[in-house]
Amino acid sequence: MLPYDPMRAYRHKRDAAHQAFNTKYAMLGFISSGTYGRVYKAKTRDAEERIYAIKKFKPDKEGEVVTYTGISQSAIREIALNREISHENIVALREVVLEDKSIYMVFEYAEHDFLQIIHHFSTTVRAMVPPSLLKSCIHQLLNGLVYLHTCHIQHRDLKPANILINSDGVVKIGDLGLARLTYSPLQPLYSGDKVVVTIWYRAPELLLGARHYTKAIDCWAVGCVMAELISLRPIFKGEEAKLDHKKNVPFQKDQVVKIFEVLGTPSVHEWPGLPQFPEYLNMKALDNYPPKLTEWCTTRFRSKDATDLLRQLFMYNPENRATALEAFNHKWFSEDIKPTRNAFHGLPPNHCPPLRKITQDEASLAHHVPASNNNNPAYNNPNSKPASWKPASGQNFGSAFGVNTAVTMQVPAGNNSGGSRKKPRLE
Amino acid sequence: MATDYWASSHHRRWIVDRHTLNNARAEDLEYATHEQLALLGVFFATVISKLGKRLGLRQRAIATSVVFFRRFYLKNSYCDTDPFLVLTACCYLASKAEETPVHLKTAIVEARSLFTGEDYNLKQFPSDNSKLAEMEFYLLDDLECDLTVYHPYRTLLAMCGKDNPPVPEDDAEAGELGKPQHDGPRYWGTGIGKLDLEEGAIQMAWFVVNDTYRSDLCLLYPPHLIAVASIFFALTLHPSSRSAVDSSLAFSSSHPPSNAGGRASHGQPKRSTVVRTGDELILFLAGLNVSMPLIASIIQEIIAMYSLWNRMSEGRADWAPQSSMQRKGKSNSSPIKQDDLVTPVALTQFVLEMRERKERDVAHPPSAKPTAINKVLERTQAAG
Ligand SMILES: Nc1ncnc2c1ncn2[C@@H]1O[C@H](COP(=O)(O)OP(=O)(O)O)[C@@H](O)[C@H]1O
Ligand SMILES: [Mg+2]
Repeated sequence: MLPYDPMRAYRHKRDAAHQAFNTKYAMLGFISSGTYGRVYKAKTRDAEERIYAIKKFKPDKEGEVVTYTGISQSAIREIALNREISHENIVALREVVLEDKSIYMVFEYAEHDFLQIIHHFSTTVRAMVPPSLLKSCIHQLLNGLVYLHTCHIQHRDLKPANILINSDGVVKIGDLGLARLTYSPLQPLYSGDKVVVTIWYRAPELLLGARHYTKAIDCWAVGCVMAELISLRPIFKGEEAKLDHKKNVPFQKDQVVKIFEVLGTPSVHEWPGLPQFPEYLNMKALDNYPPKLTEWCTTRFRSKDATDLLRQLFMYNPENRATALEAFNHKWFSEDIKPTRNAFHGLPPNHCPPLRKITQDEASLAHHVPASNNNNPAYNNPNSKPASWKPASGQNFGSAFGVNTAVTMQVPAGNNSGGSRKKPRLE
Repeated sequence: MATDYWASSHHRRWIVDRHTLNNARAEDLEYATHEQLALLGVFFATVISKLGKRLGLRQRAIATSVVFFRRFYLKNSYCDTDPFLVLTACCYLASKAEETPVHLKTAIVEARSLFTGEDYNLKQFPSDNSKLAEMEFYLLDDLECDLTVYHPYRTLLAMCGKDNPPVPEDDAEAGELGKPQHDGPRYWGTGIGKLDLEEGAIQMAWFVVNDTYRSDLCLLYPPHLIAVASIFFALTLHPSSRSAVDSSLAFSSSHPPSNAGGRASHGQPKRSTVVRTGDELILFLAGLNVSMPLIASIIQEIIAMYSLWNRMSEGRADWAPQSSMQRKGKSNSSPIKQDDLVTPVALTQFVLEMRERKERDVAHPPSAKPTAINKVLERTQAAG
């Protein structure tokens, strides 16, 4: 006799009604391997043959047997938020297919991303990103961010690899895997995720150990992205200090110094809350740096307004930092060159970034990590998460009262600060 | 979207009408009466609340679990499923959706010990993690991946101009840990005005909101209407709590008392402020731009829920107006006899039998008669 199974009828009914993923979509190839799963390019198996990007969350394995182990917090977030939002500048989720212990998120396809554009201009075009493209990219990015922030969603992982752009030149913010709803949270944000934002894009308040942080961390990241689009290399390219054996988050000295080298050491005058930060003493121990942002800008471009926008986004005090809306309405965008809905509008053909490369999937090879399959070998591992990014079975299980009990920290393979990332050369 | 209820999946896909709800029950109705199903509805909300507390879930996460559970049974039947496994998956999934995750193992261990213990006396419950994780997977699919749920708590607090829940940590909805971030516009009413109630009154409305999850209200009405109805209910409906509420009420408004408030005649006003209270409440609610007939239907449902709940032997509301509710229940709906008290073990047994009968029907379909007629027969037997 079969073991007692009260859900047999239910399972039977559900499985019978299920339309198999493979009957709806045909995988065309593999795009990228992230922390939790893999991204594929696929087309619908109908006459229209529409193209989509599929983010497939791998099922966990216990030994060789694939079992149900519980859906990761990251997948839950990404699904929950994506189901509620809809905006031209946010990657749209078409549907979610749950099948065979895997989760397939079907997203609208975006041919390019900011990382790829940066790479293209630094290595192939070997020239700066033209102002119209730069301006359109940032403007649309801010437009999407205004929407997210209006929805009380903090993205918390804005960086070039997560900002996509489709072949019509429309910017699409992607990867809501770290994003959070901030409207009356049940837990303080800090206790949920000790470390957010990939280090180069991490705001100073986070680096100084802030427990309460705001949407302003996303605006800082926009500043970093804008600067990177301008100089074709990360503006604050620090080395990440590793978590110690007790999994405490160490003081990110190198990253802080990289910021101070450009922006100068912050003063209590401009940032009255400074002495309250946990890392204040560590910070005080550093040398004193003079501000050099103006210099940084004038050696690269002439627009005073662009300099001003960067300055606003790089305000140390999060309360003074430009909000997404303020930045979106900044006068730089109404200066002579206007942003366009198609960011590629008017670009010479050789300036247009190449199509996304796809490779044949080797998913059958269980532990294959296709670093070399990445479409951007020079930017190896652009999808890494912040260091404490928690894996499927290792979410923060702090009790409902906000106490951190066990936090499993896992550093993704290949060092998330992208140490292997080649520096783009810019003459 | 966090503030835009009208654009939410909750509003667009998960508010149904009574008719849809009844259709969804068709299969279960072959094995139970409407009233029995409603009793089960009260019962499982209580079970979820118990399990949720064991798992350390906040009130809001518990409420989300209940909503998941009710949405699931819009598409499925008790007689085809194991509601105990389903509700455990609801708690597990809601804990993550509300960003207060619990371990899979913890969820299954706690659930198993609770359900197989003497309270419920359930004979079989999985001890295997993967069974619960599998259920979560199906559940997510049946929920169509819509995991963001709106609750009346926020409206309640906003309406009373509060940042924090009026109840101690354990019971609170608990936005209190983070900095309160009520920086969004209201999605209901006029967006202006505030009820200035004292803690006790808000607390009572809060408990009423908690109790609404024992009914189908969360499937039928937008949360802000449930909040308004809960305030109304807590303040004006039953006389004995009325005086308790009245004495804790104070309105800061300087409006002169008017005679508009017919409701004020419900209680025996002790102070002049009390008269104002009723009037002000009416004015305030009228100014909200919400439909009063809808509010009245919600209140009806709340009353019906309380009278059902009073038939259960466990977990009844322990707040003051409860005893008066029992009296209220008698005068308002079908008379309730004390010997009608239903125990959790009996209800657990009942739902188990529903499934067994269904299984028997599927395994041995009586050959001659068409199924439909047969089902009707079954139902008469069950009722009799
Ligand atoms: N909608 C999409 N269209 C095309 N490529 C995409 C899309 N979404 C993601 N990708 C590619 O896959 C990479 C990883 O996706 P992402 O959502 O950031 O996952 P992860 O959480 O693993 O970082 C992106 O950096 C991008 O190169
Ligand atoms: Mg990413």
